[in-house]
Amino acid sequence: MFESLAIGFSAFGDPMVWFALVFGALVGYLIGAIPGLGPSLGVALLIPFTYGMDPVVSIVGLVALYAAAEYGGAITAILINSPGTAAAVATSWDGYPLTQQGRTGEALTVSILSSGAGIFISTLFLIITAVPLSEFALRFGPGEYFALALVGLSLVAGLSEGSPLKGTVAMGIGLALATIGLDVQTGVPRFTMGNPEFFEGLPLVPVLLGLYALSEVLFMIEDGPSEKVKSAPIGGLLALPVKTIFGLKTPIIRSSVLGYVIGVIPGAGASIASFVSYAVSKRLSKTPEKFGKGSLEGVASSEAANNSAVAGAMAPLLALGIPGSPTTAIMIGALMVQGIQPGPLLFAKSPEIPYTIFASLWVGVPVMVLIGLAGARIWAKVANIPRPAIAAIVAGICYVGAYASHTTMFPVHIMTAFGVLGYILRKLEIPLAPIILALVLGEMMETNFRRALISNKGEWSIFYTSPMTVILIAIAVLAFVLPALSQLRARRAKAKTV
Amino acid sequence: MTISNLKKLVLGVAGAAALTLGGVQNAAAGDWAPDAPVNMILHTKPGGGVDVYSRTLAKELEPIIGQSIVVVNAPGGGGATQMAKIRAAKPDGLTLGVNTVTHLTGMQTNLRGTFSPDDFDWIALSQVDPILFFVSKESELNSITDLVELAKANGGAVNIAGFGPVGSMQNIGMAMLEKSAGVTFNWVAHQSTPDIIAAVLGGHMDVGVANLGPALEFFEADRLKGLGVLGDNRLSTLPDMQTFGEQGYDVDTSWLQIRGVFGPKDMPEELQQQIADAIHKAMASESYQTYARASGVQDSDYGPKEYSAFIKQMSSVAEEQLKAAGIIE
Repeated sequence: MFESLAIGFSAFGDPMVWFALVFGALVGYLIGAIPGLGPSLGVALLIPFTYGMDPVVSIVGLVALYAAAEYGGAITAILINSPGTAAAVATSWDGYPLTQQGRTGEALTVSILSSGAGIFISTLFLIITAVPLSEFALRFGPGEYFALALVGLSLVAGLSEGSPLKGTVAMGIGLALATIGLDVQTGVPRFTMGNPEFFEGLPLVPVLLGLYALSEVLFMIEDGPSEKVKSAPIGGLLALPVKTIFGLKTPIIRSSVLGYVIGVIPGAGASIASFVSYAVSKRLSKTPEKFGKGSLEGVASSEAANNSAVAGAMAPLLALGIPGSPTTAIMIGALMVQGIQPGPLLFAKSPEIPYTIFASLWVGVPVMVLIGLAGARIWAKVANIPRPAIAAIVAGICYVGAYASHTTMFPVHIMTAFGVLGYILRKLEIPLAPIILALVLGEMMETNFRRALISNKGEWSIFYTSPMTVILIAIAVLAFVLPALSQLRARRAKAKTV
Repeated sequence: MTISNLKKLVLGVAGAAALTLGGVQNAAAGDWAPDAPVNMILHTKPGGGVDVYSRTLAKELEPIIGQSIVVVNAPGGGGATQMAKIRAAKPDGLTLGVNTVTHLTGMQTNLRGTFSPDDFDWIALSQVDPILFFVSKESELNSITDLVELAKANGGAVNIAGFGPVGSMQNIGMAMLEKSAGVTFNWVAHQSTPDIIAAVLGGHMDVGVANLGPALEFFEADRLKGLGVLGDNRLSTLPDMQTFGEQGYDVDTSWLQIRGVFGPKDMPEELQQQIADAIHKAMASESYQTYARASGVQDSDYGPKEYSAFIKQMSSVAEEQLKAAGIIE
């Protein structure tokens, strides 16, 4: 293995490989920062440029772009509450409150450092466990996938501030919205009102932009041009003491491992990884009350996890040729153009490809972190733009981002509608997170629930005969019930003292 | 080919005025020379098979036609977003689309009444890709006959994992086998071929359906076994796998996955022929051939006449099969 790793690192003797790495990281960083674009689109756009290149050079560029773009989503999530990807939603929960407190620099610094740490740690796991863990992931059948989605959904209880009832209402809204579109098994249109544009369900990016960013714009307009908290300038290399950063090591390491493992399971991906890690960190934190109000731990957990999922998604791609995420699915196309078919023989037939990917993930970390730290200084100033101008800029970004996602007006209308809905829901203090969570997981849950029943002659035994399914369902039930119970107990205790 | 490329290059340098003049002459000479960039609209998101195909083809087409080609992703509505854009475009060859069998089955089912094959001109077929049925190496099934026997023995409780809902291209392929063998199978819809392969490898599904490309490596690694291919001939890369016909199941072997180019209705016939020629010329290039062979697809040289007839035939097969399955009336 060490010899093969040496081959991987030896690729960096070629200046073209370095160029590809830096170029990929820069492009990814910018693409990720634009809501509506994202890692999948970035990789797809870069592929045509890689045709004439050496396979090693092109794969290094694409991997660097993927990792950096997965990070880039954090920037707008922190600055303007506009997570460009579902994976950055959890980052916005604490990142944006930090910006409102004038701590943009701290939030950005923590986000880039934990992303870097996430990639570094998860790549180590990737090198050691790619093959065995991917084989294990194959044991996930429809029953297990359904149970996994249920675990994701059960986090709603931990993520909804205050009222579990309102959290459940929000989850219901999300699940209802997830039923829009063609029925995946029978092809029958559901709630499409005869409009084919609804066939593929609600497009996620415009919904995200509307619910979070546009509703924020509406709040800004309502608040008017009042005094705004100035963001503290970044003095030295880092915006906050090394000791503070070092204090975040536990959530970062834990979230990196969780993010990697969840990323390995094909279809689970970066968004579930960040939600789960955020929820676990909140549960285990010494200061859970700070989560959602500007906790550096929250930002670190979400970012370490969604970047670790990048390495995780690489595992089944390299070990089996099965992509773990939409972006790695596109990378298969890029590799195929180079005459390399990812599959179970990749390690045997062209070991230079997986080991170069491992090496470039590692070498890419310092490059990405430097770009991120330099960028943080500029972005921290963006946070000081007066509120009316920010509102106008964010609204502009929302509309352009929505249009760019499909190049039609349909997503633009969706975005506007969800902007208004988001505003109303926030006024009613109904949390938005469970809606997004349910929208992302609803389809996965329904599809696998039905696949499980159809493939088991309609018998429910498939949900209680596999040990893995049983364990996952038990975790989901506990995660849902325990917080509700403890809240109920707290309320009773309070009632008694009064 | 090199000389004609050079000609285009010189033409490009010679400037706009010369190009406009040359455009007419070229049309007479039989070469496609659009006077503006060409939009190639796709019904899928970036990445994936259709996207890679279109971008590879576009890159080779550009030097041949002396114009750039803009690949536009217009996903949504099972192709409706893309087809609406193309139907609304001028029939001047500057707006083209890439189509698969999904367009044809869609026009028979969800998009029936919204779009019909007659709304468009079908210009060139470039890829055909037969579907094949496969199982995991550990499976006891070794042929389509074994599969049919198993379905007979346990009343159709055999899970077949394929791409798309009931009424999709691969589902119709399965329905043809059901009819020919007098059995039923259990269709389990999946949303991507890697998902199908993973489900079969993990033992969650009995049989998978796919085109050769994404499954090839798994055959080479001895993780999957082929049961049969729905086509006229065996696949050269998997010569041991018999066709459905060889095993005694009579199905319509023109039911193939396709990738072709179409455009708005009423394009001049001559222009259509020129576009088709340019596409087939681009397909002869080394980089396209490398890509196509790695993808496991077969090339087609159908121009507008043959492709229109082929589309008509596939549409009627789709209609017939969907009616037989009770999906449409």
